[in-house]
Amino acid sequence: MSRFILRRLLQSAVVLLGVTLVVFLLLQLVPGDPVRVALGTRFDPQTYEALRSRAGLDRPLLTQYLSYVGHALTGDLGVSFRSGQPVTTIVLERLPATLSLALTAVLIAVLIALPLGVLAAVRNGSALDHAVRVFSQFGVSVPDFWMGIMGILLFAGVLGWLPPSGYVALTDDPAGWLSHVLLPAATIGLVTASILTRFIRSSVLEVLSADHVRTAEAKGLRGRVVVLRHVLRNALIPVVTVVAVQLASLLGGVIVVEVLFAWPGIGRLTYDAVQARDYPVLQGAVLLVAALFLVMNLLVDILYARLDPRIRVR
Amino acid sequence: MSGIGSRLAGATLAVVLVAVGGCSAGKGVDVDGGGAAGGAGGVLTAAIGGEPDQLDPHKTSAYYSFEVLENVYDTLVEPDENLQMKPALATGWKTSDDQLTWTFTLREGVKFSDGSPLTSQDVKYSFDRIIGEKLNNAYRFASVKSVTAPDPATVVVTLNAPTPNLLANLGGFKGVAIVQKSNITSGAVKTKPVGSGPFAVSAYTSGDSIKLVRNDNYWGDKPKLDGVTFTFVKDPTVALQNLRGGEVQWTDNLPPQQVPSLSDGGELEVRTTPSSDYWYLTLNQARKPYDDVNVRRAVAFALDPAAITKAAKFGLATPNQTAIPKGSAWYYEYAPYRHDPGQAKQLLGRAGVTGLTMELMVTSEYPETVSAAQVIAAQLKEVGITVRIRTLDFAQWLDEQAKGNFDAFMLGWLGNIDPDEFYYAQHHSGGTFNFQKYRNPAVDKLLDQARTETDQAARKQAYDQVAKQVVDDVSYLYLYNPDVVQGWSKKVTGYQARTDRAIRFRDVALAK
Repeated sequence: MSRFILRRLLQSAVVLLGVTLVVFLLLQLVPGDPVRVALGTRFDPQTYEALRSRAGLDRPLLTQYLSYVGHALTGDLGVSFRSGQPVTTIVLERLPATLSLALTAVLIAVLIALPLGVLAAVRNGSALDHAVRVFSQFGVSVPDFWMGIMGILLFAGVLGWLPPSGYVALTDDPAGWLSHVLLPAATIGLVTASILTRFIRSSVLEVLSADHVRTAEAKGLRGRVVVLRHVLRNALIPVVTVVAVQLASLLGGVIVVEVLFAWPGIGRLTYDAVQARDYPVLQGAVLLVAALFLVMNLLVDILYARLDPRIRVR
Repeated sequence: MSGIGSRLAGATLAVVLVAVGGCSAGKGVDVDGGGAAGGAGGVLTAAIGGEPDQLDPHKTSAYYSFEVLENVYDTLVEPDENLQMKPALATGWKTSDDQLTWTFTLREGVKFSDGSPLTSQDVKYSFDRIIGEKLNNAYRFASVKSVTAPDPATVVVTLNAPTPNLLANLGGFKGVAIVQKSNITSGAVKTKPVGSGPFAVSAYTSGDSIKLVRNDNYWGDKPKLDGVTFTFVKDPTVALQNLRGGEVQWTDNLPPQQVPSLSDGGELEVRTTPSSDYWYLTLNQARKPYDDVNVRRAVAFALDPAAITKAAKFGLATPNQTAIPKGSAWYYEYAPYRHDPGQAKQLLGRAGVTGLTMELMVTSEYPETVSAAQVIAAQLKEVGITVRIRTLDFAQWLDEQAKGNFDAFMLGWLGNIDPDEFYYAQHHSGGTFNFQKYRNPAVDKLLDQARTETDQAARKQAYDQVAKQVVDDVSYLYLYNPDVVQGWSKKVTGYQARTDRAIRFRDVALAK
């Protein structure tokens, strides 16, 4: 097991190095000059040259890349072109907001999707099944910014139950955090739930037609016991992967929702960095997201072995 | 295997608890950061449309930064509500007979918010830093030969050439603020700037908010508020909802289509104030056939500025065929164009142009250019010009502009005070922002003269001539001066919306 983890970590390091190279090259292809964006509308040519050289953008590309990777190995991801702050600090500062939003959203999604998906599969073809399918189609096709705006207008505007936007740290004020996280988390949660519901439904359907389920039914077990003990356990194994992938992609920040709800997470940071062509911050954010993905994958593999004794890691 | 079931049950229980907790917490949220905290003055929460890139006033160019910094820093002099330069850190100034030496007397007893004294050395340091490090506003010091500090209360600025707009250059906005040397050299300025203004930065949460507290060392009237919190809300609908719900007491990020109905009194104060900004269309004179003034005038006659203004700004702007708005001391009334497609077709015929396709470059950074482009395209279609609209993100837009890769573009100039700022960089053949490649020796000469002309009346006359020529030659096709749109809660008193968009909370109070 530990050898497995060690090997995976080494592989991850190679993947991350590849990520830095790809991101660096892509950024060179993106049109747009960070120096002009930073200087705004009024400046003279000397000012332009001075800032370009201060930011090191006048050095050859290879030099820029090697110095970036060299520093990155020591945990120094450079300084933000916009703010002059260390990228490592900026990115890590945004992590708690994104983490708490993503986890809450996934929790809401699982809470909705699990019962709906299982019920729809067990009563395959019933009116309930159709209703669930309509719900999940709705959630997948309605854009999240629209759902977010509607949520704000209803729960913050008409009803006045929740604040329309903003962020309070969980550690500062748990109740305040909760009231602020509910709307954005529910917005993301509904979309994620729609995807999960479909997946759980088809996964459960598949297991329902398996031999061991027929055997269990033939033994005369009650439907509830069959579903909970014999179907759900087996159906959930692939679901774990999907939940993990969803969670990983949410950890990368949900740009639209974070921007809409003024949530200070990785997604909003990425958005601002793209607008300003703040290459160091963009690289740092992408690197962090890639690292989170790799960690999540590793966790899923380990979890698999726990869930299904037939799977062995080596 | 039995682990999964119980773990799922645990998770489900947790979600239920979260949901229940949410309902009970829901009612009591509106006091967070709102008016209830602090002492008698209260804390005002202002929602601005984005996050400052950094708080070093000499290095940022972002308006979001200056919305905050306006309340943190001072300048030597500052514009009053009519944009006339008035004493601030300097109480007075003398000009030598040859107009080349300006001697400023500093206010006595001014302190930075950390309690250390602000002297002429700090003024010298600030100006020398901008000039020496070639920072954003170095161009404002182009005619400055040296800055000296003969005694703690005196600053002497020596010039290479008479500079009638020196005061606007040295104090027009907080980009030329007086900073504290130790705050700069330590690097703390980026997130915790130290100034001598009415408020001081107390906390900065990246991506979320900046908190200011009253500066008890402030030299002016003591601010009534205990503090100001700036939150960053990108979406105007969300900002409005925050203002309505009382989480926020001031914002300048309102959905334009809702402003007319909001301005009709009711729960909020929503004010529209004419600004000194202007928006324009320009044609690339380095490309044919836009080098022909007849073609450029044809475009001017083809357009209907009233319709464009309505589409772009929902009427929250004043059409103007010159740059400087009515109400400014530098305004020059001149409007030779009217919506006349017949005239436009005639001019195109004279230029021998048929079946012209024009690429119009606009940017999603400024949505008004995108909506205006639709109307412009429709109007030009009427006179036989096909418009292809290119919508780019701003960084790419700037790239294309600098390379001259455009037939036409629409953009605005913001926060101008002196006429030199309205014309020189844009229309002088050697101007840094003359991307349309306009070249008129008569205009060059007038602009160079007016720059150093110390007689106000003669200077005004020179700029009037420039204005007329630029409009006749259609270097810029001026469209409108937009309004500053701001909204605040009825609890806010003493706030004044300004034409230069400076956001000052120093005289504001918050009722309980």
